Amino acid sequence: MIKTDVIIIGGGATGTGIARDLALRGIGHCLLEKKDFAAGATGACHGLLHSGGRYAVNDPEAAQECISENQILRKIGKKCVEFTEGLFLRLPGDTVEYRDKFLESCYSTGISTELYSASRTLELVPNLNPALLEAVKVPDCSIDPFRLCMLNAESSESRGGTILIHHKVIEIIKEKGVCVGVKAEDQFSGEMKEIRAKVIINASGAWGSQVARMSGSDVPMSLSKGSLVIANHRLTNMVINRLRPASNGDIIVPNETVSLAGTTSIHVQDPDNLSISHEEIGLISREASQMIPEFDSVRLIRSYTGVRPLLKGGSGDDRAISRGFKIIDHKNGMFSIMGGKLTTYRLMAEKMTDRIMEHFGINEPCTTAEKPLEGQDDLSGYPLSKRLKKLDDIICECELVSRKEVERVIDKVGTKFIGDIQHRTRLGMGPCQGGFCTYRALGLMQEKGKVTSDESIRVLKEFLNRRYRGIRPVLWGDQMREEQLVEGIYLGILGLAE
Amino acid sequence: MKYDIVIIGGGMAGLVSSIYLSKKGYKTALVSKGDPICCISSGCIDLLKTDDNPLENIGNLPEVHPYRRAGKENVKKSFVYFKEMMEEAGLPYYGEEETNRTIFSPIAKKRETALVPMSMKEADIRNGESLHIISFKGIKDFFPGYFTDKFSNSKCSVYNDAGKTTISIATQFDNSDFRERFFNWIGDLNISEDKIAVPAILGTKNPEYIMAEIESRTGKKIFEIPTLPPSIPGLRLFRTMKAHAVKHGVDLFWGDAISEYKEDKNRISSLIINKPGRPTIIEGKSFILATGSFVSGGLFAEKTDVRETVFNLPVSIPEEEERLNSNFFNPGHPIGKAGIRTFENYKPKDSKLENLFIAGSILENSQIMKYQCGHGLALVTGLEAAVNCEEYLK
Repeated sequence: MIKTDVIIIGGGATGTGIARDLALRGIGHCLLEKKDFAAGATGACHGLLHSGGRYAVNDPEAAQECISENQILRKIGKKCVEFTEGLFLRLPGDTVEYRDKFLESCYSTGISTELYSASRTLELVPNLNPALLEAVKVPDCSIDPFRLCMLNAESSESRGGTILIHHKVIEIIKEKGVCVGVKAEDQFSGEMKEIRAKVIINASGAWGSQVARMSGSDVPMSLSKGSLVIANHRLTNMVINRLRPASNGDIIVPNETVSLAGTTSIHVQDPDNLSISHEEIGLISREASQMIPEFDSVRLIRSYTGVRPLLKGGSGDDRAISRGFKIIDHKNGMFSIMGGKLTTYRLMAEKMTDRIMEHFGINEPCTTAEKPLEGQDDLSGYPLSKRLKKLDDIICECELVSRKEVERVIDKVGTKFIGDIQHRTRLGMGPCQGGFCTYRALGLMQEKGKVTSDESIRVLKEFLNRRYRGIRPVLWGDQMREEQLVEGIYLGILGLAE
Repeated sequence: MKYDIVIIGGGMAGLVSSIYLSKKGYKTALVSKGDPICCISSGCIDLLKTDDNPLENIGNLPEVHPYRRAGKENVKKSFVYFKEMMEEAGLPYYGEEETNRTIFSPIAKKRETALVPMSMKEADIRNGESLHIISFKGIKDFFPGYFTDKFSNSKCSVYNDAGKTTISIATQFDNSDFRERFFNWIGDLNISEDKIAVPAILGTKNPEYIMAEIESRTGKKIFEIPTLPPSIPGLRLFRTMKAHAVKHGVDLFWGDAISEYKEDKNRISSLIINKPGRPTIIEGKSFILATGSFVSGGLFAEKTDVRETVFNLPVSIPEEEERLNSNFFNPGHPIGKAGIRTFENYKPKDSKLENLFIAGSILENSQIMKYQCGHGLALVTGLEAAVNCEEYLK
């Protein structure tokens, strides 16, 4: 049995952010995540560090939080954030009135803007729709949510925090009506662990209702599914938005070597049962190609979908619900933190931790806004120079990941999960989407004794099914060719079909 | 240049039909825009996935499957033809159409196939037989642990000084100095296990002579395990067949795509190849289309439609719902049903082209992944289309 002060349920940005904050304030804690880091909305978003521009007109409070957190994260997470800046494009049909309202709202919320003429804009990003009328520049950035979560978790662990990923909370233990701990199942070995603490924080995002219900409480949530697609190229070096009220498919974000476009907003009931329709993909491609015409013909390598855990409001439109967040004290030893967004994860963690300190009666200020995330150099994105240095022994040809790098991660993390390697090295993130390298990475794990050969085959099969669900909606063109090749490798040469 | 038959597609179906027709005395051309997917295959000839008699089980396939049209006898005849052809070409194949043999995949899974090259003949191991696995230091696509985990009485030895990819190691084996060093090393291992297994890297040519030497130095039988692409046994098969086609007088047009075709009174009269500098015109009396499915480029999926890439023939595709509800291990993605609908005589339906025949995985409902019948289907329909083409020319 593990005994600690605080249990955090959820390994997204909020959960890991809270873990780091607690660690910096010297409070013992244990984080439980049923899958991998960033497995929910954190990892299934655009990877956009909002300037706040998108919310400026309709939700000035959220916009203000965004710009202030945007500035903080650029400072504390230099290697997770790429300061790309962003453009809000005004295309024919987008009104001058909205532009003026946008500029005014940005001014009053403290978001710096610059108005660019069409020709100036096209100089900055030449492949934009030449019919554009003008654009507003804002300090939008691209952010890597996986790296962010892992760094926050490392901060916690290095200060004695316990991080248990792939551990699913099965039961919340209550004594005399008060939550005193949880039972969690190791998703790999099936082993049950009991963890006891004074307080439980429910930071499980879209699964918030389910977790709260285990403690006999309820949280009012509205789940909104958003789907995105990944294009094979980095089509733009800046974040591209539409200068109009927030709508479907109007953001394109460059991320390392690829571009992400989305999203949709569709009300759903069950966060575990999501699918992506051809209509959604069509809609995103169409909208994205209005901003970057090339998007219509670019090779899409995968689609994915996530659920925004929004606070329930009166209106039926999920886009109209505030992206603000809320802390709920269930008065039974459990707190839930709901809503919010990736950009404001640190602020959410700060407020949540403040409440815990208050609960414990300890006076220790938050320092996460000043202290840079530790260990960033180790996880520093995509320095091609570094990758090309070890070109002799490449395991993932698409993303230039060397055997040494993969072995280093396996040794360091002791992982049984392919996702742990992918998120740390970009293995399998390229055009073939892990078609070749996943087998190799699992072979190496097996060679190092981290998994048995049967386990590695099980993981490989799970991976192929998951991968296929993402690729299935975008199967045309070269991606279809690639898919038939991968099918031939796994069903044919490896003989994986039952 | 005027030919009796022009075959488009340099894979198994195109190669076998070109060899057959050229041997029959027809002036034959084979046009391919590049090396086929065949050279990344395991090099084995699958007939049909079944624990039972694959030839008999053809009767259990859906009626729309191309094997059903060919019928058991013709399937058998095609396989026999292939074995004789490969014997003559210098890369003999073993196996019977009535029983599947076992080979091992790189993750030590047993897999059935009908015909194997000589280098995999010994892979059909009996229960309790022990294995000695040979691996190579740093090799990317082979992890001997899968075998040593599965066979408790097996051992593994690693050769240190070769290469890291299968193709670089195989190229080393083409070199006699390297071979001699390897033979000495393996001889000194004093292997006591029943058989030796090695990833498929024993040279880019027929490895019979290498295997014989290893057997004489160790006293043990050896077999190869096919690996991920690029796969050496697939490469050997393709190269041997290509050379055999040339030997029998097939004219090859290799490396450039067909840019257009000319039509005369519902007949294709010529193909134009977009050679840099000067287009090449190939005239023919009849044509066989064997360009394969998506992976080979015979079919191309647009966002909402699928097109055939040379003659723009109509393509039948499964319903969107079926495609979207599939999973990776369905097995065989439903899109594998996509292809050209043909008449009994392998002429395309819904097309007015009279001198065109279709063969291989571009045929509708072939689903080669689902039924594990890739090379077999190409072989059978390649020969069937050739026979029908011959009829037409008479």
